[in-house]
Order: sequence, then structure tokens, then C-alpha cells
Amino acid sequence: MSAHSAHAEAHGHAPGAPVLVTHHHVSTVAILTKVFLTLVILTIITVGVSQVDFGSANMVIAMLVAAVKAALVMTFFMHLRYDTAINNIFILSSFAFLALLFVFTLTDFSTRKAVNPIHAKRAPIAEPDTHYLWKTPRTKEHKHE
Amino acid sequence: MHTPQEAGGHGAGHDAHHHGVVVPAPPGFVPHVVAHHFDTAEAEFSADKLAMWLFLATEVLLFGGLFAAYFYYHGVYPETFKVGGHQLNWRLGALNTLILLFSSYTMAMGVRAAQLSQKALMQKMLGITVLCGLGFLVVKYFEYAAKVSHGLVPARWFSDHDHVMAGVENGHLFFNFYWTMTAIHGLHVLIGMLLILWVMKGGAKGRFYGGYYLPVDLVGLYWHLVDLIWIFLFPLLYLVP
Repeated sequence: MSAHSAHAEAHGHAPGAPVLVTHHHVSTVAILTKVFLTLVILTIITVGVSQVDFGSANMVIAMLVAAVKAALVMTFFMHLRYDTAINNIFILSSFAFLALLFVFTLTDFSTRKAVNPIHAKRAPIAEPDTHYLWKTPRTKEHKHE
Repeated sequence: MHTPQEAGGHGAGHDAHHHGVVVPAPPGFVPHVVAHHFDTAEAEFSADKLAMWLFLATEVLLFGGLFAAYFYYHGVYPETFKVGGHQLNWRLGALNTLILLFSSYTMAMGVRAAQLSQKALMQKMLGITVLCGLGFLVVKYFEYAAKVSHGLVPARWFSDHDHVMAGVENGHLFFNFYWTMTAIHGLHVLIGMLLILWVMKGGAKGRFYGGYYLPVDLVGLYWHLVDLIWIFLFPLLYLVP
């Protein structure tokens, strides 16, 4: 009984008692340290993998390792694991919307070959005349418009 | 419609809450007064934290647009990006990655100390975090200076004195991304440092303890997001796959 009331007081449940320890989740030093060391190891893996040529798989591996690191930061350093459902929904939905942007931006590269074999080779890209674009003042044609 | 009588009646009815609920503090701390429009400290905490996550969602979309553009141009000019990435010093990039990861760790430890009313430890952890941010910017300064001296700057100012990008198409494109992404990120580091210093100012006065550590928590979330963005920037810019 007394143990219970001491617990309640420590967690600020007793009205009027000073709140020394939050009633929210407190991470242990051990878990924070483990997460940090894991992040360091994953950074070493990122650098190591980049020194080996896996072709187009290099990008996939680099982004997968980065995603694991980001998930660790969000789950433990940012406390998402112990946060409310609505806060999780808010931030995770931003990544879902980002996925939409990525998918439709990059669909061209991934499907051009499949959709139109004639244009399987990359379409020629016009060489921009950088001098014209950046250094020439606006021409008369623009003023007439 | 609000008549003067109604408005007066409303105020009188909530007189007890007019100055806000007080969260009792341990000795040596300043008790937090909950904003008057919240009934409880918990309501204030969850509302402010939700707002912070919403703001962080907009930050994800801000950098997300840049990342999408990066991937698109990387797809069009893979060689340009590869050669461009080789111009950066990946050792300095890796050093900055470790600095930021460590600063995220000390930030998390600082929030933990605040949750346990350990004022001195919190101030120490936040101080280390700011110093890490400063170290990151110093490394960045030397990197920027080296790039400027080689004319590897964005857009129309791109001059590439040493012709390191001469063998590839549109060499300036990589540096447009390098400068834009790292500058916006660096600005976030700077703002994060100022926010942490602001929190430390309140911390020195004993404003943060187990019952009220919201500003420490929210600034911590901001700092972790800055770390999170760099986790993606490092491989994409310094180790261009």
C-alpha cells in the first residue's frame, strides 16, 4: 500500500506533490547507448559497401541501410515506439505521401523500356546552352509578349 | 454572438483556470504554469507534441522534394553524379555523420535527464549537443571553402577551374544539389543549436523537470530530424551510388 502511494507520488499522481519523475516513458541509458553504437556500425557498413561495386544494387543497399538507421533514430531517439498512435500516424503519413512523389517521379526510368521498346534507349537530352540561359539579358522577344 | 455579459460570465465561470494549472516542482525548480486554454498539463503536452510532429512532417516533405529531384537527375546523369561525388571528401562526410549521430545520442540523454529532473546532467548533455553542432558546421566550413576554391559552386557561378568535371555532362548539376541540400540542412543545424541554447537558458533557471520538460522534448525531436536527414544526405552526396 505504502509502496503504491510512493510510486504514485514519484509519478506525479498524488495531487500537490512535486513531480520529480515524469509519468511518460523514460528510456534507459543502456538502450540509448545500444542504439547509438548500432548507428555507428551501420555508418561503417554504409562506407564499406560503397567501396565495392555492386552496380545498381549499390543505391538500393545504401538506401536500405539509411532507412534502418532512420527507423532506429525515430523509434528510440525520437521515442515514437512509446508515443501515441496519432503522432505515429502524422509522421508516418508524411513518408507515405513522399513515397507517392518518389514512385511517380521515378516511374519513367523504371518502365520506359517495358512500355515502349522502340524508346528503350534513353531519350536524347538537349544540351542546354548555359550561356544563353544564365548570362544573356532578357531579349526583345520577351518584351513584346 | 458574444455579448459583453456572456463574455464576462464565461470568464467568471473559469476564474480558477484563468492563470492556468500549476505543475508542482521539486525544490530548486520553477513550477510550470500550464497555458490557460488547457485544462491539464497532459492536454498541453499532447497538443504541443502533435503540433511538433505535424511540423516535422512538413520538414520531411521539404527535404523529400529535394531527394525526389536528386533521384531524377541522378537517373538522367549517373556519371555526372558519380564524378561529382568523388570531388567531395567522404572522410569529412563520415566524420560529420558520426558527430551528428553522437549529438543525437547526447540530445536523447538530455531529454532523459530532464524527465528525471537531473538539471546538471541535462545542461551538460545539451551543451555537448551544441558543441557537436558547432563541430559539424566547422567541418562544413572547411569543405565549403575547398569547393569554392575549385569553382565547384552552383548554377551560373560554377567555373570548375581544375576541370575535374570536364569529362561529364552538366557537371554543375551535382553541385546544385550538393549546395542546396547541405545549405538547407546546415541552416537547420544552426537553428537547432540556437533552440538548444534557448532551452539551456530556461534549464539554468530550473524551468524543466519531471513534470514539465516539453520544450526539451520538442527541440530534441527537431534535432533528431536534422540527424535523420543527414543519414540520407551522406551516402547520396559523398558516396554517390
